[in-house]
Amino acid sequence: MWIVILILLIALGAYIVMIYNQLIRMIEAVNNNEKEIDIQLDRRYKVFESLINVVRKYMDYEKSTLKDVVALRNQAQQSKASGDVKGHMGAENKISSILSGLNVVFENYPDLKANQNAMQLQEEIVSTENKLAYAKQAFNDSIERYNATKKSFFQSMVVSLFSGKLDFKFTYWQLDQDKIQEQEDYKVEL
Amino acid sequence: MTKLFNKYGATTANWRASLRRNHRRTFFVIGLFFLIYLALGILIDLYIYSGSNLEVPLSRIFMALITFQVIPYATLITAAVALVSLWVTFAFHNKLILLGAEYHQVMADTARDHDEQQLYNVIEEMKVAAGLQFMPKVFIIEADYMNAFASGYSEKSAMVAITRGLMNKLNRDELQAVMAHELSHIRHMDIKLTLMATVLANIMLIVIDVLFWGVFFGRNQREGSGNWLVIVIIVLRFVLPLITVLLMLFLSRTREYMADAGAVELMRTNEPLARALLKIHNDHETNKEQYAQDYAKTPHESVRREAYIFDPMRAGIEAKSAVSDFFSTHPGIKKRLSAIGFTLKS
Repeated sequence: MWIVILILLIALGAYIVMIYNQLIRMIEAVNNNEKEIDIQLDRRYKVFESLINVVRKYMDYEKSTLKDVVALRNQAQQSKASGDVKGHMGAENKISSILSGLNVVFENYPDLKANQNAMQLQEEIVSTENKLAYAKQAFNDSIERYNATKKSFFQSMVVSLFSGKLDFKFTYWQLDQDKIQEQEDYKVEL
Repeated sequence: MTKLFNKYGATTANWRASLRRNHRRTFFVIGLFFLIYLALGILIDLYIYSGSNLEVPLSRIFMALITFQVIPYATLITAAVALVSLWVTFAFHNKLILLGAEYHQVMADTARDHDEQQLYNVIEEMKVAAGLQFMPKVFIIEADYMNAFASGYSEKSAMVAITRGLMNKLNRDELQAVMAHELSHIRHMDIKLTLMATVLANIMLIVIDVLFWGVFFGRNQREGSGNWLVIVIIVLRFVLPLITVLLMLFLSRTREYMADAGAVELMRTNEPLARALLKIHNDHETNKEQYAQDYAKTPHESVRREAYIFDPMRAGIEAKSAVSDFFSTHPGIKKRLSAIGFTLKS
């Protein structure tokens, strides 16, 4: 009889350890995915710099654009350092809109479009933006997985046992309300 | 929507439900496999011990075996054989899968042209979306037919290969969907899973064969309980191969559905994948004769058949008789499309 109880207790302990480890893995995945967004933002900035330098040869496409990007970049980094998440996201999103402007420029200059280098750069733009978007998606996905596990039955009991180590409140990557409205109303003008 | 879809009604795909459902099915199949394997080991032990203890009833030997009062040597040995062969298979598999194909590797800085760069980018994007730790190796196979596969028993040793035909005929989104499907195979660890099932199945068939011939040529003067075992062994000899084949195919199809759902999960849209699947299917139909030759020309094609995103046999290539839904590694195109939300209009 005692042996049965002992075995049950050991099984229960093993189960709790399993859940604990699983949640820790998920938390670290969320942290890593958050850093991945930063990596992609950084990469985008570097791609941009070289991009604008190439485009500049073909037209006067705004020497000021590069300045804008640099300014926005600084703004993003400052607000990030001071913990101003809204400002950070806002600046990053503005860099994105400059990018779509660049794509329109490509369409308008047949010379440029035909140029093999330019084609590769365009591919680079698309890929860069995609990677950033997918990094954000992966971040949100890992939060979803973590939250779903954390809140399900049994797991939630283990979480309340070790709430200091297992209970985190991660915020999904999202746009603020004004920005959503603005994007919603956006139309391409040709 | 384009002409490609004029026979299909489009809805959204519930990839979460699809993933869950197929996850359950996998558990069921793998569990069944292990049970059959253990049962086979016990069967041998029963046969051996009942041979030397003719007067003891089978049920008592069975109880003694599973409570370890008598050590089930055969079961332990078959388990050890399985472990060793699994290890060997994992170690050599990567060298095997590209056997006979004409291929070259693409790396970030060795892309020869725009298309190869795009392919690499697309895979890297999907790697970011899947949150994989390592970038899989990328190979291009020089062939006209449209196909792709993933391999590798861990994230670290993972690779994806894609034919030149697929690269040329799909646009960026469709290519991405195909790659999302392949990376989903990698992150679901499907290669490990199917390899494991294959190895177990093969050992199982060898074991039952040996047992069968042992019974056949051994002392067939058995009395009472022993006779029962002989009948079971003879029946298994003919039924087990069928059961393992069906289980393997069921497993493989389940994992295909999962990879499709995983691709939708990564791209958050089902349309590119559906388009790519239809294009690959139609392309195989129109170029049936030529592709049949091409596939036949590449040696060791059977190594890759199960791994491909599209099973060439689906389009009747290789002309094996009776390509019924029951005996295929991949679900039919209609079922795959309907699983990701594109149902055929009646």
